[in-house]
Amino acid sequence: MSDVFVAGVGMTRVGRRSEPLRDLMAEAAHTALAEAGVETPDSIVVATMNPEEFVGDGNFASHVASHLGFAEVPAVRVETATSSGAAAVYAAFAQVAAGLARTVLVVGGEKMTHLATPRVSEIIGRSIDPYERRYGATMPSLAGLVTRALLTGHGVGPREMAQVAVKNHANGARNPYAHFRQAVTLEEVLDSRMVADPLRLLHCCPISDGAAAVVLVADRRAVRVAGIGQGADTLALRHRRELTSFRATRAAARAAFAMAGFGPERVDVAEIHDAFAPFELISLEDTGLLPPGKAGRATLDGDTALEGRLPVNPSGGLKARGHPLAATGVAQIVECVWQLTGRAASRQLGACRVALAHSIGGLATNNWVTLLEAA
Amino acid sequence: MPAVIETIAASRCPRCNLVAAPPTAYCPNHPVAMTPTEVQGIGEVVSFTTLHSPPEGFRSPLHLAIVELEGGARFFCHGAGTRGLKIGAAVAIEAVDDVYYFSHLGAIDRARLFWRRAGHAGDRVNAITRSLAKRVWKGRTRAPR
Ligand SMILES: [Zn+2]
Repeated sequence: MSDVFVAGVGMTRVGRRSEPLRDLMAEAAHTALAEAGVETPDSIVVATMNPEEFVGDGNFASHVASHLGFAEVPAVRVETATSSGAAAVYAAFAQVAAGLARTVLVVGGEKMTHLATPRVSEIIGRSIDPYERRYGATMPSLAGLVTRALLTGHGVGPREMAQVAVKNHANGARNPYAHFRQAVTLEEVLDSRMVADPLRLLHCCPISDGAAAVVLVADRRAVRVAGIGQGADTLALRHRRELTSFRATRAAARAAFAMAGFGPERVDVAEIHDAFAPFELISLEDTGLLPPGKAGRATLDGDTALEGRLPVNPSGGLKARGHPLAATGVAQIVECVWQLTGRAASRQLGACRVALAHSIGGLATNNWVTLLEAA
Repeated sequence: MPAVIETIAASRCPRCNLVAAPPTAYCPNHPVAMTPTEVQGIGEVVSFTTLHSPPEGFRSPLHLAIVELEGGARFFCHGAGTRGLKIGAAVAIEAVDDVYYFSHLGAIDRARLFWRRAGHAGDRVNAITRSLAKRVWKGRTRAPR
């Protein structure tokens, strides 16, 4: 297996965007290709969760390739619900590592804000087990069930959960690409409207438009993909014995660290899938970055803040950078590369050599962990 | 004596003993055919939530729970309410027009349940849960699809 490097990254500002999805994806792709110094990649991997329903277009790999002027370049679309972007990075990694291609463009994007919120929730909710959906289950309600269980005996209370949102909003305020650029207080989070008891509005990520891209290559560049792994779990939440830890993340982390040949202690910065604030706490423990039961305390103590010993979601995370579904897994890689190459502007961390990106698909049915190392 | 507790169709994995309710053809964790079985409509709350912006066709607030039934299946259902409910609480499950509801069993219900299990009559448990479920049912705007 050959080494795989990141040659270029790019992303759009995330938020409410008026441009068509393909234009957002083109903007991100062109930035990444220009930075990589690649005019035409050998191959393209496109990530969109549901363009058929959100924007009414299908055959989306060809749709994007033709729009970019790459009608002749082989393109595929990859979909694993909300982790589609990370899955696309994995597919591109595999092509380069296997020697099938020397330069691969990965571009992920989603556009949803033009639709009414109940419609967006319904479309995203189709990633849930049909029987549970028949009972009215939505992503927030399943996350509410997970969160309720987390609040008993896992070192997590309302303040620990709320602090995740406070921290990530503070980071987003420093990120010009973020959907939300204003800070929130602990009290504002604790007083926000109840969505799926005990989950409140300010625990939940927004509905966002945006796109992100990376170019993976075989030639040596500044950042290497040191490890990447996938983990999976049952579609139905009720078929799991454990609600407060995600098997899919644990398996993905095991695979990624095994490939990298080092452990979680080497990680300097992490981008974690905080679609719901408590998921950041669960995922910090599932990835092995923090010991079981310690993520809540560490968050309250500021350990995961920008100036802490393990900065988590310097981009603002899904909570503040925003969550344009299939763009998210790629945008996490973009932020990691910016941090590793000293280009994160006012949110730049001190010396960092290893970054971890973690993405959750559906209610943790298809998760990914990617490790990036300054080469 | 009439059955006092709902019997729910389920299936069991011969390899890992996972019990699925409603029954599935294959174990979600093993490529083996499941064996048909039944579980009893009583159990303990694993987790619960109240959804304040439920999807179209459901009335707000919508109470949802995962209940671990006697016999091992974890079951997804609606509820009459979650006030005072705690993880681990004993609940009964009742079907109303093919939609399952849980209702909290109070101390007296649990005592009757104990006696029933010990072989004595106690079918009021069922009457209580049925009346609770009926009340929820009346409040519903429309059945889920
Ligand atoms: Zn099994």
